[in-house]
Amino acid sequence: MEVFIQQTTNGLAVGGIYALIALGYTMVYGVLKLINFAHGDLFALGAYLGFTLLVSFGLAGYVGMVSAILICSLMVMVFSGLAGYLLERVAYRPLRNSDRISAVVSALGASIFFQNAIMLVWGAQYRSYPAGIIPNLTISFAGQNIPLIRIFVLVASVVIMLILYFFINRTRIGMAIRASAIDQGAARLMGIDVRSVIALVFIIGPALGGLAGVMVGIYYGQINFNMGQMYGLKAFTAAIIGGIGNIPGAMLGGLLLGLVEAFGAAYISLAWRDAITFIVLILILVVRPTGILRERVAEKL
Amino acid sequence: MLKKVSWVFLGLAMLLVIHTANSAEAVKIGVMGPVTGAWASEGQDMVNVVTILADAANASGGVNGRQIEIEVGDDGGDPRTAVLAAQRLVSSGAIAVVGTYGSAITEASQGIYDDEGVVQIATGSTAIRLSEKGMALFFRTCPRDDDQGKYLAGKVESLGAKSVALLHDNSSYAKGLADECKALFETGGIKVVFYDAITAGDRDFTTSLVAMKSLNPDMIVFTGYYPEAAMLLRQKMSMGWNVPMIGGDATNNTALIEISGKEAADGYLFVSPPGPLDLSGPAAKQFMGEYEKKYGTIPTSVWSIMAGDAFLTIVEAAKNIKGDITSKSIGDYLHSSLKKYPGFTGEISYDAKGDRIGDIYRLYKVDSNGVFRLVP
Amino acid sequence: MSDKTRQALITVGVLLFLALPGMGLGSYWLDVLNQVGLYAVLSLSLNIILGHAGMFHMGHAAFFAVGAYVTAILNTVYHVPVMATLPLAGLAAGVFALLVASPIIHLRGDYLLVVTIGIVEIVRIALINNVFGLTGGSNGIVGIQRPDLPGLGRLTAPWHFFYLIWGFVAISMFMFEYLENSRYGRALKFIREDVVAAEGVGINTASCKLSAFVIGAIWAGFTGTIYATQMRTISPGSFSYWESVVLFMIVILGGRGNQWGVLLGSFLVIGLPELFRGLQSSRMLFFGAALVVMMIFRPQGLIPSRNRRYKLPQPYADKYK
Repeated sequence: MEVFIQQTTNGLAVGGIYALIALGYTMVYGVLKLINFAHGDLFALGAYLGFTLLVSFGLAGYVGMVSAILICSLMVMVFSGLAGYLLERVAYRPLRNSDRISAVVSALGASIFFQNAIMLVWGAQYRSYPAGIIPNLTISFAGQNIPLIRIFVLVASVVIMLILYFFINRTRIGMAIRASAIDQGAARLMGIDVRSVIALVFIIGPALGGLAGVMVGIYYGQINFNMGQMYGLKAFTAAIIGGIGNIPGAMLGGLLLGLVEAFGAAYISLAWRDAITFIVLILILVVRPTGILRERVAEKL
Repeated sequence: MLKKVSWVFLGLAMLLVIHTANSAEAVKIGVMGPVTGAWASEGQDMVNVVTILADAANASGGVNGRQIEIEVGDDGGDPRTAVLAAQRLVSSGAIAVVGTYGSAITEASQGIYDDEGVVQIATGSTAIRLSEKGMALFFRTCPRDDDQGKYLAGKVESLGAKSVALLHDNSSYAKGLADECKALFETGGIKVVFYDAITAGDRDFTTSLVAMKSLNPDMIVFTGYYPEAAMLLRQKMSMGWNVPMIGGDATNNTALIEISGKEAADGYLFVSPPGPLDLSGPAAKQFMGEYEKKYGTIPTSVWSIMAGDAFLTIVEAAKNIKGDITSKSIGDYLHSSLKKYPGFTGEISYDAKGDRIGDIYRLYKVDSNGVFRLVP
Repeated sequence: MSDKTRQALITVGVLLFLALPGMGLGSYWLDVLNQVGLYAVLSLSLNIILGHAGMFHMGHAAFFAVGAYVTAILNTVYHVPVMATLPLAGLAAGVFALLVASPIIHLRGDYLLVVTIGIVEIVRIALINNVFGLTGGSNGIVGIQRPDLPGLGRLTAPWHFFYLIWGFVAISMFMFEYLENSRYGRALKFIREDVVAAEGVGINTASCKLSAFVIGAIWAGFTGTIYATQMRTISPGSFSYWESVVLFMIVILGGRGNQWGVLLGSFLVIGLPELFRGLQSSRMLFFGAALVVMMIFRPQGLIPSRNRRYKLPQPYADKYK
């Protein structure tokens, strides 16, 4: 029972982080049909920007811990969003009209670039968020001690996902994003500025990714320059499991992936954990070839 | 179209020309380390350490009037890149090469240095088999895994543990050390109640900790690297589990405390050659001062200091050789004439296999201020 | 440029290239060329799957790994001569591809991409965990022999391998050229351009795709043998997902479907980081930027695949000149 409860809460927290990153993949894919391979590195960039603000700049010394984390998160979202915008402008927009597979290589190049840029700016060694940003408290649940920070991470990611969900489904801008995802040409004819929509998607996605980076920094306290690769791959997998291009799918896929990892490691084998995750992915796709919540965009014939 | 392609080729050719245009009458020593890739911090420290020492040696007249020239080969922490780095160092005319860090990487490059007759002094590659191949010009300043396994298992026993949970990260190094310890525990009557691998680069070890806790071991033995050790300590504390934990020399890195926090690391034990801050002797202290002045920090681990020691023994050999300074004469000198050379990490002599002689392991304990203290 | 001068230029280029070891090129540059050659063969075999059939396959290192490990195990445990393991390595990789690809071959585009990444990761983790007790875990396998060629003796020096590897590159290119122009090759291209229309004219798309996968995998298995005997030690780290990404980049950057493009792509993707060595720790930064720039300037790849051209009958040819 102890194992079960600990793994469930932990899997959900990790899954929440995966889901936040997966949203960036899925939103970009929805509009552009492009896998933004540099997204994982924008996530890592967010973690490092948060490190600079919280640790090097010592934000907490000026405004207190809670507001420091809030301000830091907002600033990281702004900067990561900006980085995402620049990435789109420089590496993807020139390739808008060519085969989308060409953009994949451009994305991989950008990924290598960002990863090494982070290494050169912040150094190759592990960096750490100070221990005890959030006090090390535990709460009691079903007779188990659960670290408070785990609950915090889970709640924060769910709240952000709900906000995004309402933004996409209840606002005019959200409607424009959905319309561009379904049919860019028709959206343009309806007077939607598709170009701005694309830019916006490239701001929102990396902003959420950057925020996830700060959350990883606070949750685990440890960041390094190539962590984007691993998290990026996991989050991309989560987006695929949910059905890429589908926003609730990314959320569901992220949480599910977190749980699969936690239970696979706990009940089958720790050393085989990632292999188990990928086997589950393959099984899901064999049964449902376009993910759990089917992709909403129709395939172009 | 073909025109554009030919421009690309022209550009490549020009880079090639720029690349090969340097040579002089200097003694060339290579440094092979992971300057990029996952272990980039180790590699960059190695290069920094050797650069300072080479500058100092050149300022005081070099080797018998000849300057020392450093050639850096980036192995990227990857065997395939290491082969190219080794070939390039050999082609550049290096007579001896310092490095590298990872055992698998050293293994991939060893054959090339052996074929070409170039001295190689590994600095962090502790795998046993590296020096069991009868390569005459292979040396290392770091100890071997079996030295460490014996020392670590002995300490666990003398600390009174009756049952242990043994955890590694599936890297050659950590798995080798874990297997070594497991065998020694089993013959020594210590029960290994848990034996599994985590994934290096992971951040979440709650799973393994929960599973271990249910088996109630007297001690956790973790043979992997510091980032994972720090996360284990941190997550162990947040679970409220107070079992002692002991680790190997890959956790001897000051970043451990930064990551885990002082509170979580309090009481953590590890065995290691003396770390950068515990190097006794005025030479080491002075060197750390210079390093800090030049790069703003001190090296994060002892392995880059091992690179410094490797470099110093090469220079020492080159200075004392009568006649031509060749790879062979350096190798001969290191095998037979270098005795108890005062390096930063202690006295250095090499045995017939090229392994370092002497017991250099110590037991460390982290105190409540997060400082690594030698356990007397 | 007429076809004749083109052919002459290519011939001269190839001859010059073959003379390189004799022209005082050092071991380092020969080894770089050897690496380029190995990646070229791997990319050429991936080109069948990704370039011709148009399947987004980002797990090619898995088949390469199967070939390399089959050779390593047969040679070190059962003492089979290295070159004799070549067909077995290819066979094993092909069978493995058949098994894993059958259930997933119908997945489209990006779903196939992530599944193939999954396969290469599963293989790597299995190798690390010392599956069947044969793979040596993360240490890998050491002490693989150098190859003995009948009549030539043992290959040891970099220039020996230069001819072995580039000979293999040449054979592969002839093979794939033939394949490309066959009825089967045309069917693959049809599938890439329009899978529905291909099915409509009676092409069995599923079996065509699957056989493309298997052919590519067999070739990667062969390459695994050569890699194992050249490196003499193999470990799971050399078969990571990132290696597959590198191959993927080579094919797209060079120009998918075009063998010469893929060859040029191998030179750039493997060669550029070597040329940037002087930049030390920032060399990969420049490499990443270079990839982006090259893609922007040549989105179709450096040497894109040309459509088949047919000679018009004489009277029409004059008319439409």
